[in-house]
Amino acid sequence: MEGHQRNLYLYERFNARVVGVSRDDVTTLKYWGDGLGVTFPLLSNVTGFLGTYFQIQPEGKPIFGRRTVIIDKTGIIRYVRDGSPEFKDILLFLKKLNQEGGKQ
Amino acid sequence: MKEKGLMILCAALVVIWVSGCATMEPKKPVPYKLTSQGTVIWEDEFEFMPPPPGWKLLRPEEGGDINFGFMRSDLGGFPSTTTFAYDEEPFGCTAASFEGREKEFFKRFLFNAILNFQVLDRKEVQVVGGEGLQVDVEGKDPVRGEKVRARVIFGKRGDRIIGFYITQWRPMDGTYDTAAFDIFDKFVKSFKFLKKSFYETL
Repeated sequence: MEGHQRNLYLYERFNARVVGVSRDDVTTLKYWGDGLGVTFPLLSNVTGFLGTYFQIQPEGKPIFGRRTVIIDKTGIIRYVRDGSPEFKDILLFLKKLNQEGGKQ
Repeated sequence: MKEKGLMILCAALVVIWVSGCATMEPKKPVPYKLTSQGTVIWEDEFEFMPPPPGWKLLRPEEGGDINFGFMRSDLGGFPSTTTFAYDEEPFGCTAASFEGREKEFFKRFLFNAILNFQVLDRKEVQVVGGEGLQVDVEGKDPVRGEKVRARVIFGKRGDRIIGFYITQWRPMDGTYDTAAFDIFDKFVKSFKFLKKSFYETL
């Protein structure tokens, strides 16, 4: 999340917004986000339906796996990558999407 | 005779296996080259004065907290080691000022060691051709009987804050080796960016 925060000014440049999703409750997320200094929205999804929707909810586990998803302006998922975010890859992809016509 | 034949066969198999390993493992290209001035050019992006022989190169295989660095084991047994590194993304993310980043950084620096840090010195410095901030700290763990002395230098590359740091671990009654800090200072002083960073080219 720190990496996304560092790159916020570049996401702005590419007309993109970032949102974090976690199964932690709102209070835990607030403390966690404040501790790191994260200013973008963090969504609390305690029931985990977003994890099921994005197919990143390991069966029987109370946490999500790590997945980065880029959704364009029309709602189409254009990029999916598991594990730690590849920030340079993400930025290059967003730049390309932005050049395509501000679709994201 | 049968035993001798078997031994020859075994030896041949070992040779085939070993040579097979040698051919299967492609030689990894090194990410640096040496210049005639004694500096190192790292991935055609950075140039710096390397430490003298005896220091091992640190290079994360994938991701990690540093870009690259050097370490050595010191006399005195565990935990006596010295490590220094260049870090393109030091801990912290919101502060634009060095002082703000310093506060964020030290929330996470050596976090797992659970140390009580004391700031020994803080001063403005010149680094990579611009303004910077140098902070010297000492952390102690009275329970495990260990201590660490560290120097962190924040500088800028384009709009982003970068960092250099050295840590030197010792047993609580151990003596620090200040010569290692001089080697680190030489490394930092000699450090140059040979091209714009990825972020500056976006």
